[in-house]
Amino acid sequence: MAVFNIKKREIECKIVYYGPGRCGKTTNLEYIFKSHKKQIDGEMVSINTEGDRTLFFDFLPLELGKIKGCDVRVQLFTVPGQVQYSSTRKLVLKGVDGIVFVADSMEVRREKNMLSLKDLQHNLKEYNMNIFKIPLVLQYNKRDLAEEGIPIMSIEKMEKDLNRQIKVPSFPGSAVKGDGIGKSLQSCLQLTLQYLNKQLNWTK
Amino acid sequence: MNNKIKSILKQAELYRSQGLLNEAREKYQTILDLIRKTDQIKNKDKLLEGLEKKMILLEKDIELVTSAPTTPEMSEHVNTLIKKLFSFTKDSEKSTEDDAALEGAIALAKFGQFDGAIVEFGKLLEIDRLRVTSAKNILRCHLTLESKDDALNQFAEWESSDLFSPEQLEKIRVLFNDMLEKKGMAASQVNEQAEEAAAEIDEQDDEEEILDISAVAITFDSGPHKGEQFELDVSFQSGNIISLIISSNDEVLVESLKVGVKLEEVHFYSPIAIFRGSGVVSAMTQIKSGPKKGDFSLDIKIESI
Ligand SMILES: Nc1nc2c(ncn2[C@@H]2O[C@H](COP(=O)(O)OP(=O)(O)OP(=O)(O)O)[C@@H](O)[C@H]2O)c(=O)[nH]1
Ligand SMILES: [Mg+2]
Repeated sequence: MAVFNIKKREIECKIVYYGPGRCGKTTNLEYIFKSHKKQIDGEMVSINTEGDRTLFFDFLPLELGKIKGCDVRVQLFTVPGQVQYSSTRKLVLKGVDGIVFVADSMEVRREKNMLSLKDLQHNLKEYNMNIFKIPLVLQYNKRDLAEEGIPIMSIEKMEKDLNRQIKVPSFPGSAVKGDGIGKSLQSCLQLTLQYLNKQLNWTK
Repeated sequence: MNNKIKSILKQAELYRSQGLLNEAREKYQTILDLIRKTDQIKNKDKLLEGLEKKMILLEKDIELVTSAPTTPEMSEHVNTLIKKLFSFTKDSEKSTEDDAALEGAIALAKFGQFDGAIVEFGKLLEIDRLRVTSAKNILRCHLTLESKDDALNQFAEWESSDLFSPEQLEKIRVLFNDMLEKKGMAASQVNEQAEEAAAEIDEQDDEEEILDISAVAITFDSGPHKGEQFELDVSFQSGNIISLIISSNDEVLVESLKVGVKLEEVHFYSPIAIFRGSGVVSAMTQIKSGPKKGDFSLDIKIESI
């Protein structure tokens, strides 16, 4: 839930990285933490369990500076992707303003991607939000694995699986290498700020 | 043949390294089956032995992951962070600090930090407006921690103290009984994995994009109730006019809100954000009939948000 302070002209919004277990959400935030040092406004906090799986969330605060006369702060979160943490996942999603859905390009995770997107839609609905309206981008992660000879899906196939209906911007990426990570975040931020501006009208 | 096995083995190792243990197990199993079926493989027995060892280690890892604790005790620092990050009415001004504290305590409980939550709810018992909610949540935390005795003792203690009004105590008693009853029943197990595999998404109607205000919090900036905050649900909205119902018993509000009164500090709650702004009372009428007879319908014109 964006908080807009009219007097101080400050806006704070929340971006959540969503996606199936082990798809690379935490790795996305780790990369942003390393590569966006200037915009980082504090520490990255991770609450993990066995085998580095996210248990509650990862959290990374960003400070974007002034945009159209308004100070913009962003909270980045990841949800735990594993199926059994469904209630935590829902809690972390609360008050979300924009979403980066990280899909795993590996063939063996195809069905998990689709289930996770459906889970996202379901949880948004519970908060009276609509997957067709919320600022959302897709990231097809782990593209680097093609070189390793690991079976991965073509972009066309993933578009058909995941983006046929929602039709949102999508980006190939590799969170370990950093490819496409900044792009997905920037695109999501842009959509989110546009959306919030339409609602809050802060630039008027 | 050898190449095929090598390629599958590579996949298995990669899945394993990424923590995709079930996928890794499946691939190891495929290789095992392949090797068993083939005769022209050198060192067949050695290979099989090696693979079986890998399988045993893998099973151990799977066991470790599935039995990992789901609610670790977290540091004070992380608890504070959770309270801060998951309280959505957070505010720099005094007015809604209590609401933020309540949300923070609820977040702690939701993350399984029940002991910490009980402490936080305990602090909120001081606040009349939040007392019943906090008490209810304290009892719920005790019951979730399976300490029914603590819950009963706590309630007995409250009964003999004068912290609660008789009405408040009665409300809590009803809720508490309800909770105890529910606890008595067997919790049904929900199978979360049973969802079917399809990313078909139900399209929703494209309703108009308007800013819905669901509730407001009004803080008086002058008069006898200066600094006090009142939260009210919005019953109806048309453009920048919102309508609220004020109970005729709510003397403070009935007295203070007259047509023309400027409200310099109003929080408007919408699904996407909380706005701070101002408004002016544009109409106030007493309801003449129906279940709300005698109450007041108040219109506030939003002046700026
Ligand atoms: N090759 C490759 N591996 C990746 C990439 N992104 C993540 N990984 C690996 O995938 C595994 C899981 O990554 P995480 O970032 O922990 O995944 P997650 O989505 O946070 O997982 P959960 O917290 O369990 O939901 C790790 O071993 C990462 O190194 C990528 O782009 N390429
Ligand atoms: Mg993670």
